[in-house]
Amino acid sequence: MTKENVQGAGEEEQQAQSKKALKKQQKEAEKAAKKAEKQAKLATEQQEADEDDFAKDRYGICPMVQSQQKLDRALVRVQDLTPEKAEQQIWVRARIHTSRAKGKQCFLVLRHQQSTVQALIAVGDRASKQMVKFAANLTKESIIDVEAVVKKVEQKIESCSQQDVELHVERIFVISQSEARLPLQLEDAVRPEGEGDEEGRATVNQDTRLDNRVIDLRTTTSQAIFRLQSGVCQLFRDTLINKGFVEIQTPKIISAASEGGANVFTVSYFKTSAYLAQSPQLYKQMCICADFDKVFCVGPVFRAEDSNTHRHLTEFVGLDIEMAFNYHYHEVIDSITDTMVQIFKGLRDRFQTEIQTVNKQYPSEPFKFLEPTLRLEYKEGVAMLRAAGVEMGDEEDLSTPNEKLLGRLVKEKYDTDFYVLDKYPLAVRPFYTMPDPNNPKYSNSYDMFMRGEEILSGAQRVHDAQLLTERAMHHGIDLEKIKAYIDSFRYGAPPHAGGGIGLERVTMLYLGLHNVRQTSMFPRDPKRLTP
Amino acid sequence: MCRIGFRCIKMALRELSSLERFLGLKKPNKYSTQGGKKVPVLQNNNGPALIGLVTIASHLVHEAKRPELLGNSAEQRAIVQQWLEHRVTRLDNCSKEEVKVILKELNQYLEDKVYLAGNVFTLADILMYYGIHHIVVELAVQEKELYLNVTRWFDHIQHYPGIRNHLPPVVVLRNRVYPSSHH
Repeated sequence: MTKENVQGAGEEEQQAQSKKALKKQQKEAEKAAKKAEKQAKLATEQQEADEDDFAKDRYGICPMVQSQQKLDRALVRVQDLTPEKAEQQIWVRARIHTSRAKGKQCFLVLRHQQSTVQALIAVGDRASKQMVKFAANLTKESIIDVEAVVKKVEQKIESCSQQDVELHVERIFVISQSEARLPLQLEDAVRPEGEGDEEGRATVNQDTRLDNRVIDLRTTTSQAIFRLQSGVCQLFRDTLINKGFVEIQTPKIISAASEGGANVFTVSYFKTSAYLAQSPQLYKQMCICADFDKVFCVGPVFRAEDSNTHRHLTEFVGLDIEMAFNYHYHEVIDSITDTMVQIFKGLRDRFQTEIQTVNKQYPSEPFKFLEPTLRLEYKEGVAMLRAAGVEMGDEEDLSTPNEKLLGRLVKEKYDTDFYVLDKYPLAVRPFYTMPDPNNPKYSNSYDMFMRGEEILSGAQRVHDAQLLTERAMHHGIDLEKIKAYIDSFRYGAPPHAGGGIGLERVTMLYLGLHNVRQTSMFPRDPKRLTP
Repeated sequence: MCRIGFRCIKMALRELSSLERFLGLKKPNKYSTQGGKKVPVLQNNNGPALIGLVTIASHLVHEAKRPELLGNSAEQRAIVQQWLEHRVTRLDNCSKEEVKVILKELNQYLEDKVYLAGNVFTLADILMYYGIHHIVVELAVQEKELYLNVTRWFDHIQHYPGIRNHLPPVVVLRNRVYPSSHH
């Protein structure tokens, strides 16, 4: 290549480059012009919008409620919106559950706890185009105040809980706005598992729910579950108070592990360590020795068990009973089973709405029980299992699969989901269990089952200091560590028995749910410490 | 490996002696085994040796003059052969994963049949019962209810006079204990 050619090529390049630069400049100029045009258009549109908005003061975002004023305004609850209120103009505070805009109309579904109602904003003499657009753009879950006229509807609105009315909105204000991106969608969170798979729609998995518990708890199902759980607690208390029991509070920070060394949480206690109570066992019994006769307590129980199952939590609420009896521990069993039956009846009679709500997402058979409660001896249970082909020893403890199978066999034979298994083998019970007077291989102890899963373990306790010492030695327990416990029986102790249930497990089994985390508001397990 | 093989030999030989007893054959035969898989062999005075469980079992049926146990029509005979094949090629020594498949297929097959060949009891039922026993005896109550037709057929065969012999009975409950929605 000659020098001239190279030069020539260079010039051509330069020319080509300037052509490119020119084209680029042109494009940029065009872009800028378009942008300016657009901005100008928006500005005029906005002006127009402001000018034509006759409903400007009937909607908007309220300043944060900092208790600026005391408004004497009654807010009606969604669940109270019935045909009786037809034609009334009322104010409602609720969340935006869903919103759907269609031309000149916007349909909102407003939700409060378990109730939902349809609301309509339509362009007319009360609402402007801008107001309808404002409503359509509100984010889901935002809390709004709405002034509306309650209207009767001819066709039932199947998708809402309030099926016979709808709200015709006059004014709409936002009290608390929600961020647009929700960590989970509430419709997905209440969708039954099977339906999700069939229609290819999403359901929310448990970890996501638990990580965003605040939103998950807003679902109708969660609202129902925890309202029912509150009922269990209340019925437990009411029934026992009526039977003459006294409610006690026991310490949770204790100096020695009560059930057994392995499953206990240690906490630092000033210059030394202490433990979190695995059960109120020791203190219940001490109350009996202090002549309180019949006591119960409701409080947290801490078990440091590294069990990642559907029914174990590291912290749960224990409902515990202890009772002095006259001559036979069956007096106590009868008292406990009657309490359970009163709870089941109370739930069945007063919480049907909640039970039905939960069943919509988690279908299950209604809970069945007998009056008086079915009581089988351990030996009978073993015989039933053997008749079904299970091989097990006379003094062997029941494994979880065998417990479940026995539950099914009992259901099939007696038609009950709740029963007591009495006279467990002594070898598989704690050291403070009273042995059977007629057969040293067995004990005066019992378990109670709901839907084939254990909910209560109880027994007549050894109330004699000497026998207690023997039993403790037999189990290889360090007597020094339980000296205070044994001492409580030295100064006259009545014969007594008791047992404890887990609130979360009982709620789960009553409703036929399958994971105890569904019935624990902020569950704790080996892998979860928050929220 | 060796241990499993040994159990199989013992079982195969016990099966054959059970079969002899059922068929009412007075003189028990003496069997040997061959090969790595320890296949049973019957040395015959009249001709070549008979090799294999199915071959020997069929021979015993002819010896006992009970040809109906191999099927009454061409179609039935074919079905019986098919199940005898199934027993030694798919059922014997199947892996854990295959067990579920085998049970599911058998359950579907038996939905509208009393016996494997339809309405008649044949050698197919006997050898399939012997071959599947060790699986069914381990099933939980819920699984036995899941494979309802297999359990029904199995219970029927194990109660057939003269069949069970060397095998322990498997408990089958009269009523369903798990609601069908459980599955």
